[in-house]
Amino acid sequence: MTTTIDPENLPFISETSVSVEIETEGMTLNIGPQHPSTHGVLRLVAKVDGEQIFNVEPVLGYMHRGYEKLAEVRTYPQITTLVNRIDWVSGFSNEIPFIAATEKLMEVEVPERAKYIRLILTEMARIASHFVFNGAYPLEIGALTPLFYAMEDRERVLDLIESVTGGRFHPNFNRIGGVKPAAGAGPATKKDIQDLPAGFYQETRDSMETILKACDKFEDLVGGNEVFIARTKNIGVLPSEVASAYGVSGPILRASGVKFDLRSTTDYLPYKDFDYEIPTGENGDCYDRWFVRLQEIRESAKIVLQAIDAVPSGPLQAKVPKIIKVPEGECYVRAENPKGEMGYHLISEGGLGPYRLKIRTASFSNISVLPWLLEGVLIPDLLAIMGSFDFVLGDVDR
Amino acid sequence: MDQSENTSLLDSLSSNFPSTTNDFDTLKIFVKEDEWVQAATKLKDEYGLSFFSWLSAVDWENDVSVGDPPKENVQPSFEILCCLSDTSDGNFVILSTTIDKTNPIINTLVNVFPGASWHEREAYEMFGISFEGHPNLIKLYLPDGFEGNPLLKSYELLTREVKPWPGEVDVEPMPESDEEIKGDDEQ
Repeated sequence: MTTTIDPENLPFISETSVSVEIETEGMTLNIGPQHPSTHGVLRLVAKVDGEQIFNVEPVLGYMHRGYEKLAEVRTYPQITTLVNRIDWVSGFSNEIPFIAATEKLMEVEVPERAKYIRLILTEMARIASHFVFNGAYPLEIGALTPLFYAMEDRERVLDLIESVTGGRFHPNFNRIGGVKPAAGAGPATKKDIQDLPAGFYQETRDSMETILKACDKFEDLVGGNEVFIARTKNIGVLPSEVASAYGVSGPILRASGVKFDLRSTTDYLPYKDFDYEIPTGENGDCYDRWFVRLQEIRESAKIVLQAIDAVPSGPLQAKVPKIIKVPEGECYVRAENPKGEMGYHLISEGGLGPYRLKIRTASFSNISVLPWLLEGVLIPDLLAIMGSFDFVLGDVDR
Repeated sequence: MDQSENTSLLDSLSSNFPSTTNDFDTLKIFVKEDEWVQAATKLKDEYGLSFFSWLSAVDWENDVSVGDPPKENVQPSFEILCCLSDTSDGNFVILSTTIDKTNPIINTLVNVFPGASWHEREAYEMFGISFEGHPNLIKLYLPDGFEGNPLLKSYELLTREVKPWPGEVDVEPMPESDEEIKGDDEQ
């Protein structure tokens, strides 16, 4: 049954509007743990007032695997397998600080060739990780196409990593004192060991040049997009003092204008042999965080191009005991991973495994600033800000 | 880290903090429990170590149910570690203090470094250490009903109890002596 309305008797719209402000009650919005933009299983409990967030509390632990405890019952070579799975987007680079910490306590001198191979693969892992970000971030704020380009280019790097290590995500390639022979090359004791696969240098050179071109493409496609700029410029501005106080590191810290890169200040890998820039941002907003990472792909590709021309010949592995026992001692070794500072505080009591292994991961500290940063922002900006942090839940929960 | 930078920082630090070690390029400062917050503030304000890297604890215990016990007999205690860094030269310092295990309580660093909040919550659930003055000292990772503090040395790893070590049957016997991997020149 329809009611008939006499338009003559209806009051004018302008007269019906209420002049009092609408009071909205606070509402709790639960985002995640299965929301696509949370990169896994992060849960955010947001107190919202309309579209505005006034308090957000991340809830962690859905991916907690207890690696610090597990490390206490594993031997040193076994731990490499565990730490591969912390930040699975750049598995290779997780191994480096742990292996470096162990080697430091054992006072093993790693052969130069092994260091160079580590460096090349670490930079490739950085490129792969940043390509994931470059594909996923525009996707999160509404652009689908860059994802496919990014995945295509990431695949080039993963293929190269796979050709050397035999694994795409979890290479488990580093050994204490050096690196493993290339995938399928036979036992390490064999004479004339094949370490890098045939044609590796040429393929790397081609891939890196393609990737440098792809970066130009990305800069036009994403960075030149009006919608992308509107969604990211001046959104989520993170001042450098706040970033430091929360332990925010890596590209996010550099986007806030701090020119700090552990690759240039520490010597865990021979980065001082190469020329590269440390890109920084000016405003510390989402756009800068995106742009810094894009620039880092370029710089990493340049480092790889320089490194493959300079790989020295020599052994792959230093002489180490067959059963690894690390002498008593304590050290903290950190490295510049794609997500930021990753470090291992290793306490050895002379046994087959560590007495205590504290794992400092980048994403954990990075997202700890989210409650501060998300206060007062609008819900669509929340997604833009979270995406720009490029966290991986394995790296948050460990 | 560049060794020379490290040494110069060590020199200036050891005048203010008497108990300082620098083994394996890891600068470590030992302070008393009641100087904890004050020392962190001093490192931040006077030495420019404004980057809060991490905070955690170590359970020193002779009687362990996982892993190997310490080599020498230790006084059972919690060692609290906090790593601070600068954001220019790559210097870092590990601040260390020891607290009693019967009543593990220490002042919070949240007012100096807001980033300490989550790290302290993690230490709270993993070791059972209380941080006095922490605004929201609740579990971080573990579910609400979880009992126990997993990173304590007395906490057993139950997976090993209910399920044998995977691959145990095909583990080769350990060689008797520490053999060295044969180099390229041999064979």
